[in-house]
Amino acid sequence: MIQTRPYEFMASYTPQREWIEKRGALLWFAFFFIELGAGTFMVSSIFGSLPGMLVGWLICALLGGGFHLIFLGKPLRFWRMVFSSGWKTSWISRGLIFVILFLASGLAHMGLTLWSNPLTFLLIATNIFAFLTVIYGGFAMNTVNGIPLWNTALLPILYVVSGLWGGAELTLGIYLTQGKIVAGIPVEEAIRILLIGFVLLIPVYLISVRYTSQAGKASVKYMVLRKWSLLFWIVVVILGMVVPMTVVIYSFIVGLEASPLVILYAAIIFGLLGDLSMRYLILRCGLYSPLIPTSG
Amino acid sequence: MRWGMLINLEKCVGCNSCAVKCEQEHFLPPGVLWGRLLFSETGVYPRATKHVYPVLCNHCKEAKCVDACPTRATQRREDGIVWIDSNKCVGCRYCLVACPFQVRTYYSKELEYYPGQGLTEFEKLGKKLYPHQIGTVLKCNFCMERIDAGMALGLKPGIDREATPACVNICPAKARYFGDLDDPDSEISILIRKWRAVQFHPEYGTDTSIYYVMG
Repeated sequence: MIQTRPYEFMASYTPQREWIEKRGALLWFAFFFIELGAGTFMVSSIFGSLPGMLVGWLICALLGGGFHLIFLGKPLRFWRMVFSSGWKTSWISRGLIFVILFLASGLAHMGLTLWSNPLTFLLIATNIFAFLTVIYGGFAMNTVNGIPLWNTALLPILYVVSGLWGGAELTLGIYLTQGKIVAGIPVEEAIRILLIGFVLLIPVYLISVRYTSQAGKASVKYMVLRKWSLLFWIVVVILGMVVPMTVVIYSFIVGLEASPLVILYAAIIFGLLGDLSMRYLILRCGLYSPLIPTSG
Repeated sequence: MRWGMLINLEKCVGCNSCAVKCEQEHFLPPGVLWGRLLFSETGVYPRATKHVYPVLCNHCKEAKCVDACPTRATQRREDGIVWIDSNKCVGCRYCLVACPFQVRTYYSKELEYYPGQGLTEFEKLGKKLYPHQIGTVLKCNFCMERIDAGMALGLKPGIDREATPACVNICPAKARYFGDLDDPDSEISILIRKWRAVQFHPEYGTDTSIYYVMG
């Protein structure tokens, strides 16, 4: 229905393409890994997991940073995003600065933790930069007022919750790999809270966008009823929410240490897959309002 | 001073001259359009009506693309022209996404007008006279080279052809007017008031410099 033909460009609801099609898909992965990495670092640092911090840092630096650089048309000019005065108004410039500060302070903190005594103020600063790293993508999209699906204050909140939730899942996965699962492990509690937050936030976000404008309504329909509905309902809702929720309830009843590892790993993988797919849908289903009147 | 354009949709015949002249003036590569025509239909047969809307960069006073640009490659001059310094553009396409009017183009790869037959003399000339950088974003610059060169000679944009954007000069229906929006006595300001011209999507708060007389 909304597969725009050339003569329909901006004469009907037109999907944004630059940030999702062809090389634009790299930015989808870039935002996901940047936020997942920073989220993992935050959750791991709260629970004192140095391997978790390292994994989060590496995901953010190598995958997030790498995809960002490959996406750029002129990657060798990326330094201009830091040293121009673009940060005064541009969230992409601010984001790069946050990422650099997070990576630098995170590396220093991990180094001190490993070879000396960690400094509390450095840990606090790193977590502040990590938080800003998690949230900047939401703000970068939230300021695009031509796309109602993005132009909502709930988007940065959604990205923070999903980034931290993904981080908590990955931290749990690292604990599982290390065989450090014991009763009452604190990350389990964090996962429960963040998963409930994510599950509640998605419908609130979509319903709020649905009532903003006609383009908002069309975007939500595009996502949940039309072309992308299978991805939304099967991957995001069933695999990404229902499966993890079921496992969380199961592990709450029988205890995390008594839960089969395969179920826990599956819940983590499906949870991350649902998060990744939701981000894809947010990028893919962002529709611009038509420029000109049409009877459609 | 703030340069602006008025497009009278009652006069526009949808001949695409403006788009073609723009391609020629700026040696635009295939697939890159700084100005284009949008078509729509309203009503149903036998009362269906076809509408033509020429669109180009709106050179907004509160341009979203200027705020979005992380490298300050997209800039707004004192005369209101929004332009891109290609040497600073990093190709992040944030400006392209941020523009609610979708009038920017990302120049992703070099294409020939006649694929497999090599560049034409015109294309070769363009590479020397008006080089576009692959991996950057391109858009209408209101023919600022013509405006600057013309004004240096004491000419007046909108009145003297040599200092006026090419799409305005070429329009065979005389549907386009160019001039200073800040001057209440300029022809364009008078016509905007007289014809009750409107801006596209004022709700975005960008205060566009392109006005339309709705047909």
